[in-house]
Amino acid sequence: MSATTPPVDAGAFGRFEVLTAERRLLVDGQPVALGSRAFDLLAALVARRDRVVPKDELIEVVWPGLVVEENNLQVQISALRKILGAQAIATVPGRGYQFTLAALPPTTAVVAPRLPAGATPRPSRLLVADDNKVNRLLLCRSLELMGHEVASADNGRTTLDQLRSERFDLLLLDLEMPEVDGFSVLEQRAADPTLRDVPVIVTSSLEGAAPVARCIELGADDYLHKPVNPVLLKARVGSSLERKHLRDRERELLARLAPGLPNGTPPAAARRVEATLLLARLRDIDTLAVSQPAQDTLELLSHWSTLMLDAVEGHGGVICQMTGDGLTALFEATPWAAVQSALEMMELLAMFNAERAASGKPAVAQGIGIASGDVLTGPAGTPRRMAQACVGAAVQRAARLEALATERAVSLLLDDTSHAAVAGRVATRSLAPAVLPGSAAVVPVHALKAG
Amino acid sequence: MMQPLIDPHSFDELQATAGADFVAELVDTFAEEAPRLLAELRSAQAAGAAERFRRAAHSLKSNGNTFGATRLATMARTLELGGLPADAAALHTLAPEIDATLAALRTLARP
Repeated sequence: MSATTPPVDAGAFGRFEVLTAERRLLVDGQPVALGSRAFDLLAALVARRDRVVPKDELIEVVWPGLVVEENNLQVQISALRKILGAQAIATVPGRGYQFTLAALPPTTAVVAPRLPAGATPRPSRLLVADDNKVNRLLLCRSLELMGHEVASADNGRTTLDQLRSERFDLLLLDLEMPEVDGFSVLEQRAADPTLRDVPVIVTSSLEGAAPVARCIELGADDYLHKPVNPVLLKARVGSSLERKHLRDRERELLARLAPGLPNGTPPAAARRVEATLLLARLRDIDTLAVSQPAQDTLELLSHWSTLMLDAVEGHGGVICQMTGDGLTALFEATPWAAVQSALEMMELLAMFNAERAASGKPAVAQGIGIASGDVLTGPAGTPRRMAQACVGAAVQRAARLEALATERAVSLLLDDTSHAAVAGRVATRSLAPAVLPGSAAVVPVHALKAG
Repeated sequence: MMQPLIDPHSFDELQATAGADFVAELVDTFAEEAPRLLAELRSAQAAGAAERFRRAAHSLKSNGNTFGATRLATMARTLELGGLPADAAALHTLAPEIDATLAALRTLARP
């Protein structure tokens, strides 16, 4: 927290400027989104830049009074290096870290890429649940001023509906609400594995310790008394979001090791479902792999998978297979969810390419095929390595459509069934019919109007 | 000594955090909500609906605190924690207090 950060002079280091009082970092005069822990860490390193700072000391400054794992510190260091360039913070093995930028002449100080406007980290999505309009508006406003995207709900029932239909990084929950109150929301969240990942900060003007204790027992992260103190709000929200993002990273890693088992939930038994399959693949990765260092390729695959996983899970999809440069996802809700996921994938890829361009790396392309139909899905494999199996003509159609998208130089192809289900919601055009698995004659295929 | 209607420090802090223009709108919202909460208190009292009564009083307290309207918040808190009053007399002083609070807030919000 800011109170424990030692005072330092605001300083300029090449293209970077650290504004301690405002808690901001400027790159070429432009503010950069930086988590509150990352800022504390940067301020601490800048203040002690005359020496190597031991890890314990940094942890004590950034997480005062808390016992945290060393990898939390490493995550923050790596976030700073992404912005400042790897050489800005030196690792001295066994001793700690040192901020090095001051020693370099400003003109050659930094070769780090500048994040283009579109490639700054995505703002966190927060949901504010409060039946009291004044409280709701004020809380939304305060969070928006902190740079978050905020949606709101005015009772417990709509809160649960929104949590189930959209992706949120944090819920700010009032307790006193008509119909379904905050306690019931916490109870239902605790019972639902798909909601348990969204951290909750309870905000209430209920008095006494009993409601606080009950909320914490029901799995709330934190409790803030109303009227909410803005400094505390910022600190608690920042800390909850950081924990959420760390957990997300862990989950992504797990998902890559054991595809098809998001959130650690046990797989359902095999069943036959009407579903939509989405197959996405990075194009020409083999060509790229021979022209760049292996580490760069692995990093590229890892970033791409992380982004695409987000786009799948954000729209209720389940990963059936991940192959590094490709993934298959199952959407049981509607074909529209799969198409929305594909649109988000395309948007994320554009952002990703902007970021790559800024660091002088070539753009990458991907193809997506979407097909709907009857599939058999269920757990398959051995206990050590489980996967969500997904079998059916639609799976093969999606794969064929992805390949066809590449042949026809479009980014997305839909089969006729999926297309009929989303007609009118997105502008499409029909391409020359093709033979697809599961159909004897040629059948229509559809691309997006733009690309 | 009588408590001040609005605690200037709390109100200033609200303006500093959320922006003066936004706070002026928020005061307007409160001006729409407060009569509704008062009506809810009256109808809950008449119907003997203790939980509804407590919840409306709780909302009023919470909003009072948000704006630094300490006196109104104290009155609402007494109602919240006091249980369902036997007659409507307990609400008689509340209506003029709400009016006075709103008038003071409007002056502070748009000087």
